[in-house]
Amino acid sequence: MSAQINWNQAAVWWRRLAVMTAKEIRQLLRDPVLLSFMAFIFTVNIYLQGSSVSMQLNRAPMVVQDADHSAASRDLIYRFRPPYFRLDGEVGSSREAIRLLDRGEVMLSLDIPAQFQEALRKGESVSVQLQVDATQPLPGFLASSYAARIVGQFSLESALEREGLTPADLENVPVVIDDQRVRFNPNQKDTWFMPISELMEGITLFAILLPAAAMVREKERGTVEQLLVSPLTPFQIVFPKVIAMTIVILLGMSLSLLTVLGPLFQVPMQGSLPLFYAVTTLYIFTNAGLGLFVATIARNQAQVGLLSLLILAPILLLSGLWTPPEAMPGWMRWATLASPMRHYIDVSYGILLKGAGLDLLWDSVLAIGILGTLIFAFGMRRFRGQFA
Amino acid sequence: MNAKRVLAVAHKEWREILRDRLFFALAFVVPPALMLIFGYGLSLDVEKVPFAVVDYDRTPLSRDYAYSFIGSRYFDFKGYASNEREIDPLLKDNRIRVAIVIPPGFQKNLRLGRAAHVQSIIDGTIPSRTQTTKGYIAAINGHFGTELLAQHISRLRGLPLEQARERVQPLSLEVRYLYNQSAKSIWSVAPKLIMLIMIFVPPLLTAVSIVREKETGSIYNIYASTVSRGEFLLGKLAPNVLISVANIGVLWLLATQYYGAPFKGDPLFFFLASVLFVICTTGIGLLVSLLVRTQLAAIVLTLVVTMIPALDYSGFLMPVESLAGEGKIIASLLPAIYYTNIVVGSFLKGIGIEVLWGDLLVLAAYTVALFAAAYFLFSKRPRA
Repeated sequence: MSAQINWNQAAVWWRRLAVMTAKEIRQLLRDPVLLSFMAFIFTVNIYLQGSSVSMQLNRAPMVVQDADHSAASRDLIYRFRPPYFRLDGEVGSSREAIRLLDRGEVMLSLDIPAQFQEALRKGESVSVQLQVDATQPLPGFLASSYAARIVGQFSLESALEREGLTPADLENVPVVIDDQRVRFNPNQKDTWFMPISELMEGITLFAILLPAAAMVREKERGTVEQLLVSPLTPFQIVFPKVIAMTIVILLGMSLSLLTVLGPLFQVPMQGSLPLFYAVTTLYIFTNAGLGLFVATIARNQAQVGLLSLLILAPILLLSGLWTPPEAMPGWMRWATLASPMRHYIDVSYGILLKGAGLDLLWDSVLAIGILGTLIFAFGMRRFRGQFA
Repeated sequence: MNAKRVLAVAHKEWREILRDRLFFALAFVVPPALMLIFGYGLSLDVEKVPFAVVDYDRTPLSRDYAYSFIGSRYFDFKGYASNEREIDPLLKDNRIRVAIVIPPGFQKNLRLGRAAHVQSIIDGTIPSRTQTTKGYIAAINGHFGTELLAQHISRLRGLPLEQARERVQPLSLEVRYLYNQSAKSIWSVAPKLIMLIMIFVPPLLTAVSIVREKETGSIYNIYASTVSRGEFLLGKLAPNVLISVANIGVLWLLATQYYGAPFKGDPLFFFLASVLFVICTTGIGLLVSLLVRTQLAAIVLTLVVTMIPALDYSGFLMPVESLAGEGKIIASLLPAIYYTNIVVGSFLKGIGIEVLWGDLLVLAAYTVALFAAAYFLFSKRPRA
């Protein structure tokens, strides 16, 4: 008899959850403007960023100031070629070079001194100068690194030539020749890296923002009072929102994988997609816990917007997507472990590009799970404290 | 246009902002907080790349070679692996990003005056880091090779080592970093953060404050009043612009005083250009508010048209020139890049209106266009 009652109670409990979830989904569907912008972020935006944004040095515009005009200087200049460099002609004076750099029309200026060829022939040391616009540190650094490689190679070859050896004899001198092999993205396509990182940023943003806004809207309009006098428990009020938003975000992600990442960018998707979906679901729950926390602080959606950004900023920063974790100062490297995104990135790239499975990624998945449980429990506690 | 009515609306708006204490606090806390968080942590410098070595040679010279990586501050040695099969799981699990494989015969070849081949296996997941890492490896290899070659030449020709070194490395490259002599990331990032933050905070404040009136229905008070649409928009926006101008000041102070970024340009020009910029971005918020009905949609649309493109299409991390085809077009269609030019010019390059007048003009035209569009889209007789 009592078992019968328990069974009924459980059925009612699940029914309430299902009804509330349906309500949330319906409510979302009634905001087509919002849904279309979400679709935009998951498709067009990812496509545009993936196809046009590159974090590599790409045809950096350069001018030369060649005071030597010799075969050697021309040979050196000729080596600054696409894809990394683009020669934009010659300038007559340093002032002209600075003027072009000031205006941002060129990024680099190479100065070759007079008597350049003469010095090389005599075996005297000589130097060329590269002026780099360092207002952009990353390309500035890459440009000087490539330039150093070009000049180093040129230097070695002219030294060998003077010693009576040709570059073809490189096998017969004691140097180290490095065969570089790049794994997981052999051609270092940004169209594999950028879209995945954009996708993860989109998922993170919506997973915090949507549940928080849905919750606060009920507060703002006063409908939360209706829910509170109903037989629903706080969990039954909150969790359906999380489920509904998770479904919508997963749909957005599928849209992205099926229309952009797969067919347009040919991202390899080496590993198990069911695993990727499962971990993403866990990750959305984790962030929804943060959204729940936001919802307990905010009283209107304007506050939700600002608070979400305030929470999103450190999560993004500590994710290691921009700043490599190993290059961070010690305490910050530890703090990255508290950013669920840090672990999610390891899992996503691990599954999609590297073909890693749960045997390698279990620690990251576990970390997301632990963070999710903690954050969700904390958010739920605050919510109960506020309303029950 | 009646100044009294504009003031009344502005006053009402200001009251409302003040009464929402958390919102008011956030409007002032969020910009500097973002500046501190990103300014402190955002650095693209690649250092301490974790790596492993597979040494099949196990000779003094191969250990020397491995040591040239172990001793570098750009690499962080995680240990020796016994063979190449152990490398793959380590790379997949993010424990290392590079593996150096030294084949057998490494020392023998070099001692006999022949080239030695090594292999470096690099994680290509994040292409810009891969490129940087490749550069580090090439530099270390070059250095190691030159030293060997110098020893070889010195033995061969009977020259002192110092002289041999000079002979194998006759040409050197001197790099001069302009505008940012030590190539500090933060000097470049802090000023640009002003752009990144002020492109989305003002429109966010504006858009939600107008859409909130729509969502809660209080906008019907305005529809029914004698306030004209121009007066309403002006009064509604004035307090938001004021907050944003104050924020520009705070961010400027943080960039120059806290992060020590140089400010070489004309402060008055920068201030006026910044005021124009926040009026412009406030206009974006205004336009957004007219296109959506819910605050959530307003927040999302604001992010879609401001912060998300500004991260990639404004020269924030990478120069606009390195964008591919349509990327450049997108960049030129958004206001971010023009203000970035003004920020970078004023902080790092010390140039002013004589060079940047074009950017200022585009921002002004943008602002006028936004407000004109908003004025025509806003109607006191909304369709049901």
